[in-house]
Amino acid sequence: MIELTGGKQPLTLNNPVMLAAGVAGFGMDYSKLIDLSLLGALVTNPVTWRPRRAAGGVRVVPLDSGVLVHTGYPNPGMAALIQQYGATWQRSPCPVIVHIAAESAEDTRRCVERLAETGGVVAIEIGIADSSSPRDVQAILTAVTSHVELPVLVRLPLYTASILTTAAVNGGAGALTLAAPPRGTARDPASGQLVGGRLYGPWLKPLALRTVGQIAREVSIPVIGCGGIHTPDDARDFIEAGARAIQLDSVLWNRPQLVEVIARNLGGLEMTRMVGSFDDEWQPGLGATAALRVPPIPSPAPSVDP
Amino acid sequence: MNDLSAIIERVRRVSANVVRLDIAVEAPQRNLQAGQHFLARLTESWDPYLREPWIPIRAQRSSVTIERQTGRGQQPYQPGQVVHLLGPIGQPISLIETARTLLLIAYDATPAALLMLADVAIQRRIAVALALIGTARSYALEALPPEIEIVRGADDGTWPEQHTSLTWADQVVAVAPPHDRSAYARLLETITQVRVEAAPGYVSGLFQPSLPCGVGACGACAIACQRREVLACVDGPALDLLNVTLR
Repeated sequence: MIELTGGKQPLTLNNPVMLAAGVAGFGMDYSKLIDLSLLGALVTNPVTWRPRRAAGGVRVVPLDSGVLVHTGYPNPGMAALIQQYGATWQRSPCPVIVHIAAESAEDTRRCVERLAETGGVVAIEIGIADSSSPRDVQAILTAVTSHVELPVLVRLPLYTASILTTAAVNGGAGALTLAAPPRGTARDPASGQLVGGRLYGPWLKPLALRTVGQIAREVSIPVIGCGGIHTPDDARDFIEAGARAIQLDSVLWNRPQLVEVIARNLGGLEMTRMVGSFDDEWQPGLGATAALRVPPIPSPAPSVDP
Repeated sequence: MNDLSAIIERVRRVSANVVRLDIAVEAPQRNLQAGQHFLARLTESWDPYLREPWIPIRAQRSSVTIERQTGRGQQPYQPGQVVHLLGPIGQPISLIETARTLLLIAYDATPAALLMLADVAIQRRIAVALALIGTARSYALEALPPEIEIVRGADDGTWPEQHTSLTWADQVVAVAPPHDRSAYARLLETITQVRVEAAPGYVSGLFQPSLPCGVGACGACAIACQRREVLACVDGPALDLLNVTLR
């Protein structure tokens, strides 16, 4: 059990491994590929008060050991989203945290008020925009925390996290998610255009790890590490640097099975079967992983002599 | 939807820069239908990071055939090589129930994504014509089934007897480069000049943008349509061009 917030209502999760905002969708899109019940929580894609359309032009640029993604955070708006996914969240195999992309204090407050009436949501994560100032953060969190009993996590941009931390803590953040994927610009080889967007990949880990280490020493509220985590060792590095929990991002797209491996490792449920091993390399009884999926072989009926 | 390992059984060179791979796949991935594809990863390293779309041209009993472009400096495909396939991605392309003639158009793109549909149509005794336009003209014709009538177009998007072929076709399915939506806009303009009142489903385009997730989670493949946005990985790849916002 991991207690994750220092706010008025604690958030307790079974596993320190979560899925980050922006990678896993709004519902159970990955339920056919991974066992979501192993996870501490799933953070939804960012949602806004008003509907947002997808960004125009090129949205994905492959990079060396990474990818640039610019979606524009498409979503149907908070009211429609709750209508569409509210029931799914209630029967979700893992706790659901809704991520709100903070466009303004007023719209964020409206989102939070609407969410407070919805079941199946265990916490809210507020995504602070790259361009936000400490004053903006304070205003957003003041508007939010006075209207909600749910735990409030705050995700800060990577490059301005240290500048915004004090405002987030003073504003009543229950925990800090460090950090949102940084933005970059790359040339799309197919169209020849320069495209700006969020960056993902294993190379991001040292940057995020440094930020987590610096800020975790300064604040009394829990820190959640996020950025470039692709192996159990990556995740453990974040815990060693001071993070109370971690969020996995693009590794989910690249190798969904690794999410299970990391969740089992950090959750004390280490697998005894190598990922990708064939059935005849696997000895039943060594662990529960395969046994859970394979129905037990019925014992033969006792032979009766005629 | 599954994320499974498969083995390349056979590599056949079709032309100087195209090979066909017969891949043994496990049961959940054998029920692939025309229009659906896989996201493939060949390496255990993180580079390349994104999986590549592998579009089958044929599905057999225990294997699928994938067509791949090969280029200079690219590692050759080898029999016995293990590939990790996520899929099937997307929805099958539906042929109009009453269709007896099908016009396929490859516009500055390889027609490989249309070949499985062509096979299905031929089995249903639908007459199939394939217009190769722009860079698609360099496609190796000997790799195509003999039942398909080939029409070679020009760089400007036109092809011979355009009016005749569009009035002949009961259904049109086109493929264009993922980043160039204007190609679909030009095609649609040409088609609607001939078929002023084209019925819904008459002309579809295949939308195959880069897919980070392939399961409808990331939102990177959203395509604006008249009523709502759809996801190419979940609702595509074939979308009715009359519904898609092309400009």
